[in-house]
Amino acid sequence: MRKVQLRLPLGLGHQLRELVFARARHEIVAFCLVSHELVGDTTILLVRRVVALDDADYLDEPSLGAAWKGSAMLPVIEMAMREGLGIVVVHAHDFPGKARLSADDLASARRLVPMFRARVPGRPHASIVLGRGTAAGLVALPGRNARRYDDVSVRWLGKSIVDWPSTEGDPAFDLEVFDRQALVVGDQGLLSRARVVVVGLCGGGSHVVQQLTHAGVGWIIGIDDDICDRTNLHRQIGMRPVDARKPTPKIKVMSRLVRSIGTGSRFVGIKARVPAPATLDALKSADVIIGATDNVHGRADVMDIAWRNLVPYIDVGANIRALERPASEPRVAIGGNVHVFIPGGFCGWCTGFISDEKLNAERDGRADRSYFQNKGGEAQVVSFNAVVAGQAVSEALQLLTAYRGSSIDPAALALGDGRQRGVLKFDGLRGTLEEWGGARREECPHCNEALSAGSVVWQTVPARRRG
Amino acid sequence: MTPEFIAQATRVIADTFGSEQVRIATEGPRTLVRIAVVELYLGSRPPTTPMLLVFDPSQPKPAVYVQPGQLLANGKVPTSTSTTLIGNESWLQFSFNIPWAEQHGILRFIAAARQRFVQDA
Repeated sequence: MRKVQLRLPLGLGHQLRELVFARARHEIVAFCLVSHELVGDTTILLVRRVVALDDADYLDEPSLGAAWKGSAMLPVIEMAMREGLGIVVVHAHDFPGKARLSADDLASARRLVPMFRARVPGRPHASIVLGRGTAAGLVALPGRNARRYDDVSVRWLGKSIVDWPSTEGDPAFDLEVFDRQALVVGDQGLLSRARVVVVGLCGGGSHVVQQLTHAGVGWIIGIDDDICDRTNLHRQIGMRPVDARKPTPKIKVMSRLVRSIGTGSRFVGIKARVPAPATLDALKSADVIIGATDNVHGRADVMDIAWRNLVPYIDVGANIRALERPASEPRVAIGGNVHVFIPGGFCGWCTGFISDEKLNAERDGRADRSYFQNKGGEAQVVSFNAVVAGQAVSEALQLLTAYRGSSIDPAALALGDGRQRGVLKFDGLRGTLEEWGGARREECPHCNEALSAGSVVWQTVPARRRG
Repeated sequence: MTPEFIAQATRVIADTFGSEQVRIATEGPRTLVRIAVVELYLGSRPPTTPMLLVFDPSQPKPAVYVQPGQLLANGKVPTSTSTTLIGNESWLQFSFNIPWAEQHGILRFIAAARQRFVQDA
């Protein structure tokens, strides 16, 4: 049987939870407008909007948890039809025990869900009840009849990833190995069940893979289409001279590295470049993506996938450039970034980290994307890569284990001045990593188009009108 | 391209390739048209491909894509191609100057796009 997950971006999750768990004289209902994506055996309902009813829309029906005027749903249905989105009615049962729809909830859902489906047939529709850490519902997936799901999972994105119900650990891991990190990580099971995709496996990405393995991340999926060159040996962790003599894919080096560490982490290598089909499947299934690529096109693609499918994306990079200075002063500037992009917060387009100008420059001014080239031959030093890569792994650990605390309230990430935590600037000369923060632009076209967009809905071509 | 032209072109594609072979989707202002099976010229590997046409009202002509992995008739990987993301799916973009005039119709455009894969580079 297919599983169902409701997934909410930063901001909307908090809005939904505040709405439906508010104390009132009746249950509060919210309407989530959703796209969807199928990942493995799970249909993920990606929340794009949360719409509340006005207080005046509720009817005084003491025998029911909540009753509302049918006309109050018309704007929601019109919006769903206009934007091609599914409708998920959400309410809460704020009491102990496993969440389940009551008989009244079920009767209401059996009326509403088919009606929603008739309006937007290509998207899922549902009625879901949230409890304390669990959820259940009546869900109609595209092309299937509505059926009850006693275990709907919910993923809330915030300062960390919050999963309902919480994930259980992988018993294949020897917990004693990780004793000395338990104070920070807490439940090692949060890592042993995690799936982290690393894009780019050389200077930055190889450090990331090594550290994720030591930390005991369950599944590490590495993406790189390149083979080892002897000029990689000074910075690619795990590489040996023989890997250059007998050209070896970088994914093979990483596979060997993970096996040799032996903490129980499993590595899957994909020898391709994003967004080849195999990479797309891997990225959509990730809990966290760490990008260590050397080009803007790759970053833009990963950003698009992360936003569409609500997967947090950490980007890491270091750069070194020459300075014309006297011998007593530094001859290089050493910089770098660690960006923590949490869908619903600022994206790379909001901050200018990705822009049309940068994409054009990478294509050498040509209009066709096929002309873009990686930036080969830039200066790289292993120790500087290690600093930013290590910070990227720490950010991934925060998302997965919440060692800095857990909250889905965007205020928990606020730095002041409207900025959100998540842009760390590295200065290799001073030896510092400084938090600069980033701000979401409300008019950002990427956020408005891609956030929770999921996959498009393919439909038959309408028949030609006759007469 | 006007919305009327896009609607008419979509209809022509469905009539030609068969309604069961053609699906449409919208994403923002763009209309995506996917043809499940388009036959390429003799020798192309594979000999058929799904094809995606993207009609963007702000662009002078449609954009055309095929399934990633498409090879030329001589078995080589075509030059100046790249995989790109459209609607959360991977598609192969290829560099080929396809003549375009609305009055020539969409079928002539598709036929010209198919010729890319009999080129030897």
